[in-house]
Amino acid sequence: MRLAVERLTLRYNGREAVRDVSLDLAGGEFVAIVGPNGSGKTTLLRGMSRLLRPAAGQVLLDGREIRAIGARGVARRLAVLTQLHEEGPDLTVGELVWRGRAPHQGLLQRARPADREAVAHALRAADLEPLAGRPLASLSGGERQRAWIALALAQQPRVLLLDEPTTFLDVRHQVEVMALLRRLNEGGMTVVAVVHDLTLAGRFMRRAIGMRDGEVAFDGPPREVFRPDVLERVFGVPMDVLEDPASGLPVPLPRAPAEGGASP
Amino acid sequence: MAVARGRSRRPLALAGAGLAALALIGLLTMMFGAVTLSPGEALSGLAGDSGLAGRVVGEIRYPRFLNAVLAGGALGVAGALLQGVTRNPLGDPAIFGLTAAAGLAAAAAIAASPQIPPWGVALAAVGGGLGGAGALFAAASRESVSPMRLALAGVALSALFGAVIVALLSSSRTFLQTNLGFLAGGLYGADWADLRAVLPWAAPALAAALALAGRLNLLSLGDDVATGLGVLADRTRLAVLAVAGVLTACAVAVAGLAGFVGLLSAHAARHAVGADHRALVPASALAGAILVSAADLVAKLVISPSELPMGIVTAAAGAPFLLYLVRFRV
Repeated sequence: MRLAVERLTLRYNGREAVRDVSLDLAGGEFVAIVGPNGSGKTTLLRGMSRLLRPAAGQVLLDGREIRAIGARGVARRLAVLTQLHEEGPDLTVGELVWRGRAPHQGLLQRARPADREAVAHALRAADLEPLAGRPLASLSGGERQRAWIALALAQQPRVLLLDEPTTFLDVRHQVEVMALLRRLNEGGMTVVAVVHDLTLAGRFMRRAIGMRDGEVAFDGPPREVFRPDVLERVFGVPMDVLEDPASGLPVPLPRAPAEGGASP
Repeated sequence: MAVARGRSRRPLALAGAGLAALALIGLLTMMFGAVTLSPGEALSGLAGDSGLAGRVVGEIRYPRFLNAVLAGGALGVAGALLQGVTRNPLGDPAIFGLTAAAGLAAAAAIAASPQIPPWGVALAAVGGGLGGAGALFAAASRESVSPMRLALAGVALSALFGAVIVALLSSSRTFLQTNLGFLAGGLYGADWADLRAVLPWAAPALAAALALAGRLNLLSLGDDVATGLGVLADRTRLAVLAVAGVLTACAVAVAGLAGFVGLLSAHAARHAVGADHRALVPASALAGAILVSAADLVAKLVISPSELPMGIVTAAAGAPFLLYLVRFRV
């Protein structure tokens, strides 16, 4: 499923947070959106997932304007997970994941075999089967993040958009979440995530879109676009980019200011 | 793999206990009043006895009881809807101004035309309830409608409409005297005509409340998640407010301005069945029906042969409960 953004301008808190951005994501891509704070990454993701109404331009899902498809129709094709907030609702993992079936169900949300199958599959994919009966509040941060991803998976989307899915997680849980996203992508799902951690983006994702001041500053495979001069221009810090000897993947590394002295 | 859809909290046993309590209150309501009947007399009156029991039960007590059940059920559901849509434990049609809006319209209609039939009062109240819901939505919406703004706007509207009702009634002394029951909430003289006047509004509104329950569940996950799952958040909020407005109006048309019923019933129901609105909406209806019919029974008996307005009893029970919420839960 193709997700395209055409000359999209988005306003957030009264200012243009995204200006005239065009992107084309083919089916099955695995994309990181990176950039400094306030560069418009999250706003762009919200615009792409129709959580934010465009000030100008449009978002196309398989060539159709996303707002013309209908809210439930979009929800059957595209799932979005925004940043986790507060402690979450008073639900078990299973109850939360069941709510992901709503776009496929009728008004009274009666469960059919297809719903049971999709919920079981989502729990299995997120490795949450043993935790299905546990309250969300009793989970670790990584488990809770996977529970919300499982909710999105129960929608059986072709496109999954996530805002900072690894923030606030320790390194093991970060890798778990990224590995889950990679498995989903390998199954054919388009996965787009806003990520702060350039190392994770370089390690796992196949395309990196860099945002700066509401515009696309770079767009390409991390191996090509993660270059010291490019990253310094976007993030405003001198960067080195090492190469992982095993995989050849880029490992961006901010350069520490000289000891005792201010940066030049 | 089987995955449980929800925590079962013995819903059938609870529903059975609630219905049994309602039936008991109903039987007591048929027995007690100006004339005391034995349980046997009350039941034969209910069955259509042609004597005194039949007239007292069939023409006075039974319709009054059914009006209480309908008013309580409607207020209970309205409370559950408002608490769900505002994600605020103080959600209640009286606190959020819907009761005052419906009451203002009904009072204005009665003041303008004292001989107005019950269906006219119901129509005016529904217009007022819908207007109140619209005003609440408009006052609370900026870019989108936040639960907090809804709650604050509701409190403001309640104060405003309440003031206008009192101003309206103050300009007519006899009206004030004869309508204490309306102001404080009461079912004195509620009959079959009242019931017939509100039923065409209440039945579809209750069905709509059930149909909205699933979407309220999704909305409780937050606007972003709900939108992602295909719920149009603001449109759903408007629909929920409108349904709550109609239900409140039905209760106001037969039972006046009783407060606290929605608040109490929805909290009791949530305690019993949990936060899933598909169970919470019917449970709140049952809790409201029990509360108002029991309050009406108490109101009728406590200073017999005179009677208190029913709303005094619900307020007496509701105010301490509200204080408890403020102190321990909010």
